[in-house]
Amino acid sequence: MISFYDVTLRDGNHAMRHSLTPEFVREYCQIAEQSGVWAVEVGHGNGIGASSFLVGKAKSDDYSLLTAARENLKKVKLAVHAIPGFATIKRDIIPAIKAGVDIFRIGTHVTEVTTAQKHVEYLSGQDQMVHGVLMMSHAIDLKGLVSQAKLMAGYGASAVVLMDSAGNYVPKDVATRVNALKQEIGVQVGFHAHNNLGVGVSNAISAIENNATIIDGSSMGLGAGAGNAPLESIIVNYRRMKSGAPSLDKFLEMSHLVETKCPEYLPRTTSSSIQSGDAGVFSGFAPQVKQLAAEFGVSQEDLWQELGKRRLVAGQESMIREIAQDLMNL
Amino acid sequence: MSNDKIKVAVIGTGNIGTDLCERLLKDPKFDVVAFVGRRSTSSGLTRMHGRVPNLLDSGIESLEPLWPYLDGVFDATSATAHAEHWAIVQKHKKWIIDLTPSRIGKPLVPVLIDNSPSMKISTDYVANYSMVTCGGQSSAALIYAITKHAKSVEEVEISSSIASLSAGPATRNNIDEYIDSTENMATLLTGCSAVKSILVLNPAEPPVMMRTTVHVRAANFDLVQILQESRDLVAKVKSYVPGYDLVVEPHVAGSGQISATVKVLGSGYYLPEYSGNLDIINAAAVETATQHVHLSRLNHERITT
Repeated sequence: MISFYDVTLRDGNHAMRHSLTPEFVREYCQIAEQSGVWAVEVGHGNGIGASSFLVGKAKSDDYSLLTAARENLKKVKLAVHAIPGFATIKRDIIPAIKAGVDIFRIGTHVTEVTTAQKHVEYLSGQDQMVHGVLMMSHAIDLKGLVSQAKLMAGYGASAVVLMDSAGNYVPKDVATRVNALKQEIGVQVGFHAHNNLGVGVSNAISAIENNATIIDGSSMGLGAGAGNAPLESIIVNYRRMKSGAPSLDKFLEMSHLVETKCPEYLPRTTSSSIQSGDAGVFSGFAPQVKQLAAEFGVSQEDLWQELGKRRLVAGQESMIREIAQDLMNL
Repeated sequence: MSNDKIKVAVIGTGNIGTDLCERLLKDPKFDVVAFVGRRSTSSGLTRMHGRVPNLLDSGIESLEPLWPYLDGVFDATSATAHAEHWAIVQKHKKWIIDLTPSRIGKPLVPVLIDNSPSMKISTDYVANYSMVTCGGQSSAALIYAITKHAKSVEEVEISSSIASLSAGPATRNNIDEYIDSTENMATLLTGCSAVKSILVLNPAEPPVMMRTTVHVRAANFDLVQILQESRDLVAKVKSYVPGYDLVVEPHVAGSGQISATVKVLGSGYYLPEYSGNLDIINAAAVETATQHVHLSRLNHERITT
């Protein structure tokens, strides 16, 4: 059986420029609770403890968002994302445990898993469910991917989740990578799509066909850059693949809520997202690229290409200004 | 005033200790009396054969006969070992520069010694200075320059990105402690408790140079003064960290917000140039020792003449 993992209230917060409110969380979770989704992830787009000038200030603090979710999720698990370097155990993770979070996802750039050792070990030592997340998972070769995933599993993660943070994969890439992990690591494998190239849903289906058991998606694809794989579309596909799949109605109700509550934030595949996806650049940079390209009078296309060349990773938002400045002075 | 060389020992023969030793050997103000490790075959000790008179391999105990010939020591070991080292150094009435994340010593960023009351050199000869973190060393000048010419500072944020290759196991394992120490320094410097520090590791090839961005929110600013003060202080840091540059000058980054970015290129004594994060800590350590000894010698002359 597939565990469907809903990132609308976390990745979607990127699209909403971190303006998510407890009221919206409450309303969304009330429907999610009835939907058959396995878990709902809540928080700042870059996870708990990440609200900052660098990647965006959140309108509502982590605690009030988590509390609003917790009050409305009983059967459905409450999850958070946390990135070492932004979130610390003391300041962010312990309060989240106290707020009743069920699943902790500790994420690092795909080559930097060792920075998560303490956090993953701490959580598994506290008998908390912890997943290891490999962000920008396209930015490493297959052998490297497997060895980083093994580290996560070794620290005590009960699942390793591949994030296609740049929306760079096509379905055959997902098949190769999910397969390799299924064979090499003894824990669950999850997959998190982004729709930069317009193949987010196909990628999620490819992950399912290759025996990934945790599948991320968001209502209306609300998420960074070109957005995630729309959860309702994944469910529709899955219903044609397997019997006993969740029914569609509550998923559509969640989509409808997102569609009506924040029409201005709905993501889509654009020429710019295809360029960033193909260049393998983190989707979350989109707002900064748009703003700084305009400020410095350079083209978004050139800026995306340069970011790809310099291999920026999530969290280096402040360098986009320097690069835009360099491009202007060329 | 005494022009005697400053006689020191470096404890810890890893990357940081070795780079520090190279740096001190090239500095005419210093005399490296001993280089102290735990393994006689360590690459650090081997490298210093014929260059440092006492190459010792039994830790700080092996310094025992040399204390009368030392002014102070640099500790590039670990946070746990540092507590023990500090006790011994106090017994012998010497000073110690702490390059470990122990947070026992007084946080010090040399560029601000004459500026910030929180960064004064100790008047006691027996002293322990903590070199904070690379984020702390690289951001302090900007934090000081911006907040000095701002009214009602509401938030301070420091974000650094460093090359993955420059982040060893200690940095990776202590990333929470890194964040804590950097934030503590920012609070010490500004009195503001809403501080945030972020560290990002970048694996790109060729390795990226360290960058630190400081972001301050306050009721109002004098941008002209901030620009002048930042340029002056950056030039002052550059006198002991030659690869330190202001790459994005202070600018208004939203209402009530000022932001600026520096880049740190390492000097390449032993560590590669992309290790600006390690270079700035070592440069700060040498500068702190120089200033501490200078002040104590001045005071001593005042008393004795």
